[in-house]
Amino acid sequence: MSGSALPREFWLVLRDRAFVAWLLATLLLAGFAVWSGSREVGQQLELVHELTRADDEDRRTTFGQQSDWGSAAYYTFHFTHEPPSELAFAALGQRDSMPWKHRVRMLALEGQIYESDLSNPAIALLGRFDFAFFAALLLPVILIAGLIDLRAGERDAGRLELLEATAASAAALWRLRGGLRLLLICLAALLPLWIGGIVNGAGALPVLLASGVVLLHAAFWGLLAMTVGSRQQPAVVLLIGMIAAWLVFALVVPSTARVAIDRMVELPALADIALTQRETVNDAWDLPKEATMTRFVERYPEWEHSAEISRPFEWKWYYAFQQVGDQSVEEISEALRQGRRKRDRYAGWAALLSPPALVERTLQRLAGTDAVSLLEYEEKVRDFHRQLREFHYPRLFEDASFDPAGIDQLPRFDASAANAP
Amino acid sequence: MALWAGGVLAALLITTSLVTVARMDAERQARLDHQQGAEDAFTSQPDRHPHRMVHYGHYLFRLPSPLTAMEPGVDPVTGQAIFLEGHRQNTAAGSEANRSAFLGDLSWPSPALLYQFFVPLLLILLGYAAVVRERENRTLVALMSQGVGGGRIMSGKGLALGAAAALSLLPALVIGGRAVLMGEAWSAVASMLAVYMGYLVLWCVLVLCISSWARTRGAALTSLLALWLVVTLVIPGIAVHWAATTSPSPGKISTDFAMQAELRTMGDGHNASDPAFAAFRDRVLSQYDVDEIEELPVNWRGLVAEHSEAKLTELMNRYAEQRMTQEEAQARAVGLFGWLSPYLAIGNASRTLSGADLATHHRFLREAERVRFDFVQSLNRAHAEQMAYADDINRSRDAAAERRTRISADNWKVLETFEFEPAPAAERIERALPAVAMLALWLAAAAAASVIAARRLGLQ
Repeated sequence: MSGSALPREFWLVLRDRAFVAWLLATLLLAGFAVWSGSREVGQQLELVHELTRADDEDRRTTFGQQSDWGSAAYYTFHFTHEPPSELAFAALGQRDSMPWKHRVRMLALEGQIYESDLSNPAIALLGRFDFAFFAALLLPVILIAGLIDLRAGERDAGRLELLEATAASAAALWRLRGGLRLLLICLAALLPLWIGGIVNGAGALPVLLASGVVLLHAAFWGLLAMTVGSRQQPAVVLLIGMIAAWLVFALVVPSTARVAIDRMVELPALADIALTQRETVNDAWDLPKEATMTRFVERYPEWEHSAEISRPFEWKWYYAFQQVGDQSVEEISEALRQGRRKRDRYAGWAALLSPPALVERTLQRLAGTDAVSLLEYEEKVRDFHRQLREFHYPRLFEDASFDPAGIDQLPRFDASAANAP
Repeated sequence: MALWAGGVLAALLITTSLVTVARMDAERQARLDHQQGAEDAFTSQPDRHPHRMVHYGHYLFRLPSPLTAMEPGVDPVTGQAIFLEGHRQNTAAGSEANRSAFLGDLSWPSPALLYQFFVPLLLILLGYAAVVRERENRTLVALMSQGVGGGRIMSGKGLALGAAAALSLLPALVIGGRAVLMGEAWSAVASMLAVYMGYLVLWCVLVLCISSWARTRGAALTSLLALWLVVTLVIPGIAVHWAATTSPSPGKISTDFAMQAELRTMGDGHNASDPAFAAFRDRVLSQYDVDEIEELPVNWRGLVAEHSEAKLTELMNRYAEQRMTQEEAQARAVGLFGWLSPYLAIGNASRTLSGADLATHHRFLREAERVRFDFVQSLNRAHAEQMAYADDINRSRDAAAERRTRISADNWKVLETFEFEPAPAAERIERALPAVAMLALWLAAAAAASVIAARRLGLQ
């Protein structure tokens, strides 16, 4: 390859109006995706800030009005949430379909954890136009359109033979042309991501990893387009072939795999958890109190000495049957969570067959907006609820007198705590 | 090539239809069973204090309508079950989207998605060359010289392409027929099929127009693909962004805080001596012409429970309506982009007609609230009328009084059997009209463009 080939090719690319149009479209679409994602993340952060403030205020008011620990636990809610990560602007992920905020209290958690304060279903259905969507589904189409007719276009125009005859090496010429175009489109796609990363204060590593994912994806489609493009066929035939490949990878493979995985891994019905839990909690009112307390003490033997209930209503018995209600569905609830993780694990394997699905999943993983991250958030809520119980049990079982200043000792949900490994 | 594409399309449409029909049938059966189970559980509860039943609560399940086998709409992204209890409005929980394996934004196929997104692409691939090929092969002039006019050429090509589109609707026809057998109104099914036919015809006309305007096959194909991409992926993305930023809907936790602040001034229905009920007490005392609540012929606590539930419900409904209005505004903002993208217009029309749109989900929420209020209030009425106030206040101390506050399980029969149905077909059709108007305008514009294209063809 001669030293002057690169600048010449560069000028040729810039004079190719159709290609420049695709390049501009890339920049515009990626820019819009990043901007839109950043706006959404900004709104979510603002909402979190506002809800944290309102929650604090609400707790102070409610807590101050109580006169015993039992009612304090009953009336005091706690806001939990998973804040959008620094890279969430690039992949909003499952945050429209899986809950990332809850308000919980000391009652049975299984009756609260499935409440889902989600965004508008009309929006969740259409999906967000975020960078992950752009990189997974639109970027391939742009690469196909920009690279498929490199050779066939020249052939259709009757210039191919002349061009290959005058080049020092025909293969090197096509490599250079294709590589240059691929690189330019990648730059146009990644530039908005980098700017978004800086504006959103994202660390260099996640942005670099995300860029790596996009580059690999672009390389896959670019090489495929150039390989297919080298076949002796008219440009339109090649284009149709590539669009078919896109459809297979973006739609046919992932949807087949999704149907298969959902069938393969059966999940317990949520209704079964909810109904069983409610039965246990409600039956407790009619059961002898020892029945509840025995099951409670099995889990918390340290309170055996004060587990005797003598009055028709005592708060410690009330919270004991809430606890037992959760215990009664532990297995099925665990099966549901395991099943969801299993589905996600299988989907991770299946995504190896579909580059677009792999890109979306990987970007969401990096941004902490994938199903696993939101399942881990659910675990954090469960942990927090356990802390809440373990804060209140000593006060209830030791019959501690209520102290309004105790509000400052209440466990607080730490949204920034690292996800469990 | 065309044969291949047709074969792939047929295979995809048929498998997707079968899978979706099976999925929605299973969903329907499961929810029917759960509904039955929840009703049996409620009515088979033993004699007990009615307020216990208020907190025991009840579950309602949203049944998918028969046409969701064609267009599942928001069904998979919304909760299907709602827990009804006293003093609270819960969210609908348990959406499929939150359980299913995520494999990308296009990994959830339904016949509707295929017709809206995929079939237009195939019509492009089948038809992009239809007219431009004649021009490139220089057969156009030959045709013209034989006296075949531009209009004849265009309509001939259009007929061929339209036949392919009509053929692709066969699975939809079968699903529609099945829906009628399952009790869906034929008018809804016919409208649905007509809307899809209109949408596909629109794409046929667009394809022919561009094919006749383009100079080369490559140009025709590239412009059509760009158009398809913009209409199905780019504009919906912009629409969602626009709706989310211009008409935000902050969600239930946000409105709950505002509501609770207002609630603190209202009094707790569990505490009949709350000063907030003083005015109500005076009114009741004078109505029964007695001086003390102990002298009332009814149970004061039950009255308070009934009174405060009514006031609380009024408040909760106000906030719930506010949330639903915000969501509707967002959906409308997205819907307006249907003027720019027929893909959005058909989606709206299709979801509305099948009874799987946002409004149908809201209808479920409103009906659930009505059921909740009715059963809670009839239990509160029983609380007021079927036990003595003295027993009620002593039930925590006196076992005999506690036994007397347990009312007969016959009272649990207040629960009506619930089977959710979307709005009547006529109402759905009316609601779909704006989206249909958008499609009609697109069709009219495309038809006008094709007439011009045909003339232009004749002039060459």
